[in-house]
Amino acid sequence: MKVCSLEFILALILLSAIFPLLRRLRVRQVVFTLANVGFVYSHLHNTQSLVATTIFTLYGYAAAKLLSRRPRPGIFWAYLMGLLLSFVILKNYAFLRVVVGPAGLVSSVQIVGLSYMLFRQIHVVVDSMQQQIPALTFVGYFNYQMNLFALLSGPIQRYPDFDATWSSVSPANLSRHQVLMAYMRVFAGVIKIAALGALAQWVAQDATSYIDAVHAGNEAYDRWAIIGNFLLLYYLFPMYVYLNFAGHCDIVIAGGRLVGLNLPENFRQPYIARNMIDFWNRWHRTLSFFIRDYLFTPMYKALVSRWPRHASVVPAVCYFLALWLAGVWHGSTWNFAVFGLLHGLGVFAAKTWEQRLVSARGRKGLKRYLESRTIRVAAILVNVHFVCLTFLAFHPGVLRYWAIVKTFLGALIPGHIAPR
Amino acid sequence: MNELRNTFQGIMREVFDDDDIVVSDSTTAEDVLGWDSLMHINLIIAIENHYSIKFATAEIAGLQEDGQNVGTFLQLVANKLK
Repeated sequence: MKVCSLEFILALILLSAIFPLLRRLRVRQVVFTLANVGFVYSHLHNTQSLVATTIFTLYGYAAAKLLSRRPRPGIFWAYLMGLLLSFVILKNYAFLRVVVGPAGLVSSVQIVGLSYMLFRQIHVVVDSMQQQIPALTFVGYFNYQMNLFALLSGPIQRYPDFDATWSSVSPANLSRHQVLMAYMRVFAGVIKIAALGALAQWVAQDATSYIDAVHAGNEAYDRWAIIGNFLLLYYLFPMYVYLNFAGHCDIVIAGGRLVGLNLPENFRQPYIARNMIDFWNRWHRTLSFFIRDYLFTPMYKALVSRWPRHASVVPAVCYFLALWLAGVWHGSTWNFAVFGLLHGLGVFAAKTWEQRLVSARGRKGLKRYLESRTIRVAAILVNVHFVCLTFLAFHPGVLRYWAIVKTFLGALIPGHIAPR
Repeated sequence: MNELRNTFQGIMREVFDDDDIVVSDSTTAEDVLGWDSLMHINLIIAIENHYSIKFATAEIAGLQEDGQNVGTFLQLVANKLK
């Protein structure tokens, strides 16, 4: 069930109508739990998937409880290795095909929302180990993990924020204006996904098919048609990705609001970012903050404490590794490794450039640089074009990605001969 | 609390390599040039080393949320030193 489907919207209307009528906390919790169970069940492919989902959920809860009582690094690292190994196997990462061969892949088991469950689980376990979640209950944890509004594609909410509404929420006593605004946002989300996003996707796919056909020699070579189609693909595909994801967030954030849940915002005008670090502060913000808090910060602290002499190099290295891993997390195929690599290089370059500016001009010089309107506009233009280039890697197949770029570059050269 | 604030200010001047920094409880990251998420971690490391305390992941993250300032930072440090 997709969040912009008629079934989901109707279920949302029903839930939002029922919730304000339920005055007792326990009753609301039971209704919300049943809604979550029903949502997860509708996505289960088979019994194996049900078993895997149950084990994955219990594993996190058991680890959180154990580590809150016995916060030993050895237990934590053993837990984390087990978690990451099961994640890689369940996601069928492409490199597994190289390591164990196609026969070793587990293709029949699928856990819906696995990528997001992974991050939420790590957050709960780490915070439990550090005594930051004092009263974790299984029912609270289950509903946090299976929250139908955040299960499929986030936002990645922190457990204490979820628990604040889960265990002490009053009914969603929204004013008529707030209810109307929430429904308006749901409607805007549907328009973004089903109309604007779908249109951008359709045009981008059409352009991709044309370039593919030229590359395969099935279409007459026309350099201006190639350039035109590439530019359509180049600008509209990132637009589609944004509209689809932002529309999803509009629906789930506003839908959550209607039943009293306050999910965090996930976007802040990402395409006007001035560099890739700024981009990740604007794009999929809850993922960025998770990466910052649970990956970048511990990695940076560990490296800089161990090698303080290399403190100037460590940030860029950590930025690169964190963003590369974030890219790999996006999908199990090689193209996402390329996506992560490009984003890792992007943030590496942004950090290195900033450090160079500070070295050459001092912090006050950096401030003047950041305040320059001309530089800001130029930086945004450069960055948005780099982002568009990286989003082409969302297309499956690394070779196809390269073929698209190569065909376009060939068309830029007058007199270039069509590839055979 | 004043002593804690003065020590904090001294650590900040060292971390940011800027002797002109003056902090009050209402000072936020936006008020200090260069106080981004990376410098925030450098500041955390310096505070941890100075006081021999340890911040939890959620505490470091919480200090970067909207509405946080030097006052909330100092309060957290004070609670850990009790």
